[in-house]
Amino acid sequence: MDFYIQVLISGLLLGGIYALISIGLNLIFGVVRILNFAHGELVMLAMYGTFWLYKLYDLDPYLSLVVVLPAMFLFGVVLQRFILQPVLTTSGVMKMFTTVGISILMQNLALILWKGDFRAVQTFYSMSTIKFSGLIISIPRLVAFGAALLSIILLYLFLKYTYVGKALRAIVEDHATARLMGITVERHYLLAFGLGALFSALGGTLMMPFSSVYPTIGGPFTALAFVIVVLGGLGSMGGTFLAGLFIGVIEAFAGTFVSPGLKEAIYFVIFLLVLMVRPQGLFGMGRGTEEIGLK
Amino acid sequence: MKKYTLWIAGGLGALLLLLVPLYFKSTFVLHIYTLTFFYIGLTAAWNIMAYGGNLSLGHASFFAIGAYVGALLYVKLGISPWIGLTGAVAASFVGGMILSMPLIRLRGPFFTLATIAFTEVLRLIAIDWRDLTHGSAGLNIPFDLGWLNLTFKSGAPFYYIALALAVGSVWLSRWVRYSALGYHLRAAASDDQAAEALGVDFNLVQITALLISATLTAVLGLFYAFYSYVLEPATLFSFELFSLQPALNAIIGGMGTVWGPVIGAVFMTPLGEFLRFYLGTIQQGLNYVVYGIILIMTVRFFPGGILSLLTPLGVRFKRWIGDTGDNQ
Amino acid sequence: MALLTVKNLTKKFGGLVAVHDMTFDIEPGEIVGLIGPNGAGKTTLFNLISGIVHADQGSLMLAGKSLIGMRPCHRSRAGIGRTFQVVRPFDMNVLENVMVPALTRTRDTSKARKAAMEVLEMMGLAEFATRSPGNLTLPQRKRIEVARALATQPKLLLLDEVLAGLNPTEVAENLPLIRQLRDTGVTILFIEHLMDAMMAVAERVLVMDQGALICCGTPREVTSDECVIKAYLGEEDPQC
Repeated sequence: MDFYIQVLISGLLLGGIYALISIGLNLIFGVVRILNFAHGELVMLAMYGTFWLYKLYDLDPYLSLVVVLPAMFLFGVVLQRFILQPVLTTSGVMKMFTTVGISILMQNLALILWKGDFRAVQTFYSMSTIKFSGLIISIPRLVAFGAALLSIILLYLFLKYTYVGKALRAIVEDHATARLMGITVERHYLLAFGLGALFSALGGTLMMPFSSVYPTIGGPFTALAFVIVVLGGLGSMGGTFLAGLFIGVIEAFAGTFVSPGLKEAIYFVIFLLVLMVRPQGLFGMGRGTEEIGLK
Repeated sequence: MKKYTLWIAGGLGALLLLLVPLYFKSTFVLHIYTLTFFYIGLTAAWNIMAYGGNLSLGHASFFAIGAYVGALLYVKLGISPWIGLTGAVAASFVGGMILSMPLIRLRGPFFTLATIAFTEVLRLIAIDWRDLTHGSAGLNIPFDLGWLNLTFKSGAPFYYIALALAVGSVWLSRWVRYSALGYHLRAAASDDQAAEALGVDFNLVQITALLISATLTAVLGLFYAFYSYVLEPATLFSFELFSLQPALNAIIGGMGTVWGPVIGAVFMTPLGEFLRFYLGTIQQGLNYVVYGIILIMTVRFFPGGILSLLTPLGVRFKRWIGDTGDNQ
Repeated sequence: MALLTVKNLTKKFGGLVAVHDMTFDIEPGEIVGLIGPNGAGKTTLFNLISGIVHADQGSLMLAGKSLIGMRPCHRSRAGIGRTFQVVRPFDMNVLENVMVPALTRTRDTSKARKAAMEVLEMMGLAEFATRSPGNLTLPQRKRIEVARALATQPKLLLLDEVLAGLNPTEVAENLPLIRQLRDTGVTILFIEHLMDAMMAVAERVLVMDQGALICCGTPREVTSDECVIKAYLGEEDPQC
């Protein structure tokens, strides 16, 4: 019994981070209406940033957040402003192809600049654990989960209660009307992409104490994020969080009890099932459903 | 009188193509041609689905299905690949039907995501099911010469086979476009609700296009398997090589047209090989950096592809040869 | 037998009853007008008949065969043709636009091309066959809408505000079209806001208000009916 709970806990903890990364994707799709294929690469970039700050300046990953988060926010803004903004009027798939191009570009630039070796960070707390009624919980993972939860709550409050947050939600619901209400939609695109990048970066940095980074690590994260966003439902932050936890748990159990090679296959199958049975996701608000094609 | 000029030019070109292997014995040169022909086929096949507005990034799945089914039937059961073709077609048909289930109602990017998910599931299964596919270790096709076994000493036979496949694929893609299916696909892509109101069965039409595209891709996969005689999931299910590349070729050449895919494949395949050999050896990944840039630039500056640049010229050319444009 | 039989047709969107318990018949060969204030549910009724929206309750029959549950493409093949208020031509030239529905009646592209040209000639659009709809005027594009619907060889043609957006000259030019269409054997149900057009062309008029059928009769009867006048003027009347 204890063993199952152990797997469950580790799944939940990782699921929190997955949720964090996915929320960025959800926000970007809701506001900018782009399926960001390069989302995992944002995580990858942040992870490399954290690694180099640690390697070159001995900066602790958690402290490096001060540098990485604003940098990635800026990166997201630049990406949106100069590469994505000009193609926003093309069809959904063409926009996606642009992000595919960005993804390939980033992956291979990383390969060229930093080589394919796995890079890791070793801090004094990397291996620390808490023992709790027979269970062993890794501290960095716990911290990551806590930070993820906190950030998601903060984002939720931001969206619900601030003016800018409400503007973002208005854009998610209805672009045209939001524009008519005086909202400068383009500036909010920048904000949305910046935030999306920021949350992905947060997830990436939080993972560095217990994970390693390599140029192609982005792909699986992008895939995960898409599965989670679709499962949770577009436009629903809470849905994304729960879906993230769910996928984290599934992955943990699949990796332990089925074959590790097939664990990715399991969430792709879930993805296809969700699209087949309930495309708006478990908690979908129905926003963006015309993009999916629900009639 | 002027229309004959086009036929004469085309005939000369065809003749030259037929003579290439007689003058160029170099395996590298023949390989570039052969690969280009394969990609003309793949791109034309991909494009059939694109007529309906569905841009798949999962065609590698059908390619690999065709390859593995054909190879396994031969290696495990001794069935000649020519007969194995029926197996490849059947398997890809089934695969296409399975994929259709979630895809029926999806539009746009979510359709594309579903195709990617489908391919990944199959890829992971192929890697894991070592007893059947030999997983990442690779499945080898034994070297038994003969047309029945699709194994040859020189590169010439596959040159001609691939050329025939390319011609066949383009012909099929053209046939679809100017048939009732083609018109309905274009209508469905343009405005699905209006199309339905006018009697176009959106689902039926899209699934039909998918199945034609899938089975053609699988056929190409089977022949490719015997051409390269080593099968491994990483290559056959490769997103970059067999899912993205055909799409990229079509976009660059001109998506949704008959000749766009051909132009795109002819332009990109040799370019890709040269990039891989020259840039890729200097610095691994550099060739893909160029790819990424090309993709971003194309979407930004020529979403209609090369054909859209040529069309103003094309219209004048057609008028010059007296083509009224009525009967293509 | 009536061509279209509608009984107790009801459609709710959440709490809003868009169409409420409508019952009426349309006989073959009639030209029937459908009027009502904005928001009365006229387009929803069209959507219900053409299948874009499915009824919550009630029955809907075309020549005795029930349409309930049928998808729009199958209703089109059964004989329901429909134009949209906001014209939506396909991304192709005019002839190809009309060939698309023609190809639901025959698989042969040359036969379909001929049939499409015939329809275009009838609609006075033959000279624009190879042009792109985007380059044509609004009245011409409205005719393309009608041409497309005609190419499906409908038994019942639903025209959704075919004259909207046209100036008085254009209206006068296009009005006889409706009768010409009927004379080719098509039954017509049309939505129109312009009362003059309604009076001139409709043989019978159905009046809707707030989702319900409040009156029907000849144009003269309907325009002098108290309930109808009150519906348009917005007065409340317990008797209607």
